[in-house]
Formats: sequence, C-alpha cells, structure tokens
Amino acid sequence: MRAEARFFKSLADETRLKILWLLSATEELCVCDVIKVLGITQSKASRHLRYLYHLGWVTDRRDGLWMNYRLSLAPGSPGEKLLKFLEEMLAPQPEAQELRGQLEHCLEAKRHTECAKRLNAGRKGAPPGLTEP
Amino acid sequence: MKIEAQLFKSLADETRLRIIWLLMAKEEICVCDIMGVLGITQSKASRHLRYLYHLGWVTDRREGVWMNYRLSVTPGSPEDKQLKLLADILSSRPEALALREHLEQWLAAKGQSKEGAAACQCS
Repeated sequence: MRAEARFFKSLADETRLKILWLLSATEELCVCDVIKVLGITQSKASRHLRYLYHLGWVTDRRDGLWMNYRLSLAPGSPGEKLLKFLEEMLAPQPEAQELRGQLEHCLEAKRHTECAKRLNAGRKGAPPGLTEP
Repeated sequence: MKIEAQLFKSLADETRLRIIWLLMAKEEICVCDIMGVLGITQSKASRHLRYLYHLGWVTDRREGVWMNYRLSVTPGSPEDKQLKLLADILSSRPEALALREHLEQWLAAKGQSKEGAAACQCS
C-alpha cells in the first residue's frame, strides 16, 4: 500500500496540487507558464514537476531551453481517479477558478507574443523553410 | 487550496492509510488491535491515531487503559468522498484485502481467548 500512500502524497503539497490543477486544464504546459501563473521560482516549479514525473503523473518534452509537461495517467488508474476527485473538489472553489483564469490569461498573452514574433519575422523575410529556392 | 493539500496529507503515509483502511472495515477498533494487525508499536499507532483525531477523521472512546477509535466523517464531506475513493482504489489490491483478512483473524482469535483479553493484553 506504499504506492497508494505515495499517490496521496503527490497531492499533499499545496504547490503540487496547484500544478496538477493547471495541468489538467491544458494538453501541455511549459515550466515557464507554471512559474508565471503560480508566482514561484523555476527551481521550485521544476522540483515539483520532477517529483510528479518520477511518480508517473506526467511525461516531459524538451522545447529549446524549457521543459514541457503533460499528464500521463492511464484511464481507470488510481492516479486518474484521484485527479477526477481533485477536479470535483476544486471546481467550485473561487481560488481554483481564479488560478485557471490566470492560466488562460497567461497562455493568451503568450500566443499574442508568438504571433507578433512571427509577423515581425515575416516582414523581415519569410522563415527559412518557406523561402523559394 | 491548502485545506485540500492537508486533506490528502492524511492519507499520504502508509501507516495512516492502513489504519484508515482497517477502521473502514469495523465500527470501532482498539489501539491494541491496530498494533497487533499492523505489527507496529503502541507509540506509532497512537501517534497516527491522534493525528487523525486532531484532523477530525476519527473520534475516541476510552475503555480501561486502551483507547478505541472510530471513523467520524460526515456523509458527503470531502473526507467521506476521499474514503470512498480510497476504498475504490484499494478494494482490488491483494495486499489491502490480506490486511482485512488479517484483521478478521485477529479479532476472531481475540474473541475466542478468555474474555477477549489474552490476544492483545486488553483491559
């Protein structure tokens, strides 16, 4: 029953709880987004995400400097059941809703920045892959 | 969200998880039975039970030198829902089922012994 205790321990920390709450709202999340939304240091965010990674809650994908994480729970697994329970418990809470709102805001701002970057790049010349030979 | 994290912390320890799992099977359990079934010291059993007591998971009742504990979660409360989830997760685990079996055997042996006392030096 050690595995089950460990699973509950994953949620026994407020920061990890918040990270899982954010991850369950999106397909994939960059460490940089977690840092921004929760207002924590990179070291803290990465530490908790590595903890979740080693317990099998998330998988990682490197994208340049940053790591991206996504939930990786098998349907019907204890982790998935626990996550559903967490969703049900947190969904009506203003604090949790506000956090999801902040995440949306952060991702929206990021999309705009990336769009602007792409537009600028387009004005200076088409990206390398799109140039005619 | 600190309260929710605290709620999960109650079950984040293997011994506490086992104690709750045993308590779910019976109306009331003596500390001496928890010690016997889990093979832990009185100090460890009592420490975890007091932890659960202070967080409102259990109530206590003194009987002679021993304390008895029972679950005291309100139906529909987050704790109650968490217990149901735990039951759902553990009911298919052989280790958890063996522990319940062990509890039954332990209590049966206690019932057969003189005044139910010899098995765990109760009262």
